[in-house]
Amino acid sequence: MIDVEHLSKTYGSTTAINDVTFQAEPGEILGLLGPNGAGKTTTMRILSGYLPASHGTARVAGYEVHESPMAVRQRIGYLPETPPLYTDMTVENYLNFVARIKGVAAGDRPTKITSAIERCNLQEKRKVIIRKLSKGFRQRVGIAQAIVHDPPAIILDEPTVGLDPRQIIEVRNLIKNLAGQTTVILSTHILPEVSMTCDRVAIINKGRVVSSGTPDDLMLQLSGGMRYELEVEGDRSYITEQLQRVADLKELYWLAADELPEQRHRLRVSTETNADFGKQLAAALVSEHVGLYEMRKVGASLEDVFLQLTTEETAVEAASTVETDAMAEPIQTDSTQAGETE
Amino acid sequence: MITVLANIDAIFRKELQGYFKSPLSYIIAGFFWILTALFLVLVSQQVIQYATQNDLGRQMGQGGGAPLDVPTLVLQNFLSVMGSILLFILPVLSMNLYTEERKRHTLELLATSPITNWAVAVGKLMAVLVFVITLIFPIAMLELFLLSAAKPAFPLQIFFVGHLGIILLAAAVLSLGMFISSLNDSAIVAAFLTFVLVLVLWILDFLGQTLGGAGGEVLKHLSLLKHYTSLTQGVLDSSSVVLFVSYVVLGLFLTAQSIDLIRFQQS
Repeated sequence: MIDVEHLSKTYGSTTAINDVTFQAEPGEILGLLGPNGAGKTTTMRILSGYLPASHGTARVAGYEVHESPMAVRQRIGYLPETPPLYTDMTVENYLNFVARIKGVAAGDRPTKITSAIERCNLQEKRKVIIRKLSKGFRQRVGIAQAIVHDPPAIILDEPTVGLDPRQIIEVRNLIKNLAGQTTVILSTHILPEVSMTCDRVAIINKGRVVSSGTPDDLMLQLSGGMRYELEVEGDRSYITEQLQRVADLKELYWLAADELPEQRHRLRVSTETNADFGKQLAAALVSEHVGLYEMRKVGASLEDVFLQLTTEETAVEAASTVETDAMAEPIQTDSTQAGETE
Repeated sequence: MITVLANIDAIFRKELQGYFKSPLSYIIAGFFWILTALFLVLVSQQVIQYATQNDLGRQMGQGGGAPLDVPTLVLQNFLSVMGSILLFILPVLSMNLYTEERKRHTLELLATSPITNWAVAVGKLMAVLVFVITLIFPIAMLELFLLSAAKPAFPLQIFFVGHLGIILLAAAVLSLGMFISSLNDSAIVAAFLTFVLVLVLWILDFLGQTLGGAGGEVLKHLSLLKHYTSLTQGVLDSSSVVLFVSYVVLGLFLTAQSIDLIRFQQS
């Protein structure tokens, strides 16, 4: 449905995006994930026909955005970062105007507008002037604007930014309900959003697609191997020594353990291979008299993948520090990661 | 072609609805009606007084020339006053045409909809022009009422050509003002720049006379004032009409180009 090939965009000497390639199948939700300034908005603007690309092609429903702009514009709904609202109009009048300029036939307009209002849960606000709406409702009007003409493809630029948690859930549900009949591309820098709403993800960093696939795929492919989280008692260097004898460790993180008593530590170990080394691990620790209080198998999180792909110094070395602030907005890290020591 | 007309109509209606909701347009209308009605009374009073003195002079055998055509003089003088008042009002009307769109980020909506920049610009210009015609209409009715008292009956051609002139003048100024409003997102700057531009176009006639030569002739021909004055005298000169229409087309063309450019500049 949406086919982006070798897309590049330069502004003077700065390169916004470089050789971006991805596809979105009909009915699928594709998430563009990346830190702020990675080129997500530029990619979406090119897809929507707002910006011309410097190189490469972008096709929507078989039409190239630059060669047949009008055909593409009829087939997409686009929600920019800031919802484009005429604040002095009522929700209904505004949607009517958008439906008109999107070329919806006069006879179809009432049903399509009603359907968009219902899908975005705006029934109560139908006759309200947009200026008087709260941010969450404005965002929904923005989405209603993008779907009012029933386009086969919808492009949403950061649809949940600035909303409160309840509104975020509502908007996510709304997006999920769109899928199936409509192809959705959304951009975000919030990780849980991707695992919750998207069928597939393309991670963009510094204008390049660094990886793509389903959220599960990405986790498997990029942080392959097994991981265990341990709570142990003893001397750190002694424990490290014992652990290194177990298997070819890839990573060893000491996690925050402020609430624990003296000499008690929390750490995470992982290996390159997919072989489960739990048995050996437990045996090694117990037989060498390391006090073991907890041992838990953990799956890789998308955050790990993301940080690994977008952080300059990759956190491969044992006990290295991961820059969690690589992302502008605080994300839900698993409580331990933020306070890593050493 | 039909879709283009439908698009223009969509923009036109949206814009026109906007004028009915905006307090600014009511303030402008009130200001315009009070001022022009006042000037209509003043101008007719002055002309009648002058004509009376003229008649008196002739009766007393002091010469004084031919009898004056009072209704024509009233209309011509009044139209030139109304043209001057409009010069102040039109920049205020055109300043928001695109600055608002920029502030609300709605240009992105228009640019990603199947509608051309031309259709948007034409729709906007038509709407604001209809608003100006709404301003002028009641005043024109007042003029007609006044002129209907004239004996012998006043030739309506001057009336119609004169008002066609003022509408053409408004269209030209608004079109250029629309282009200026598309250049940045400050309405005040747009209004001021439009006013300066219009003033320059207004006095080109005078500049041309001072300059002289072929260049001066060209400047004189481009003057808004010269062509407006010739229309208020009831002369339907095609070159005047062509000049005003050219300004309108130029404004529309520049607007469409400038909107395209905004997209290229944005990072």
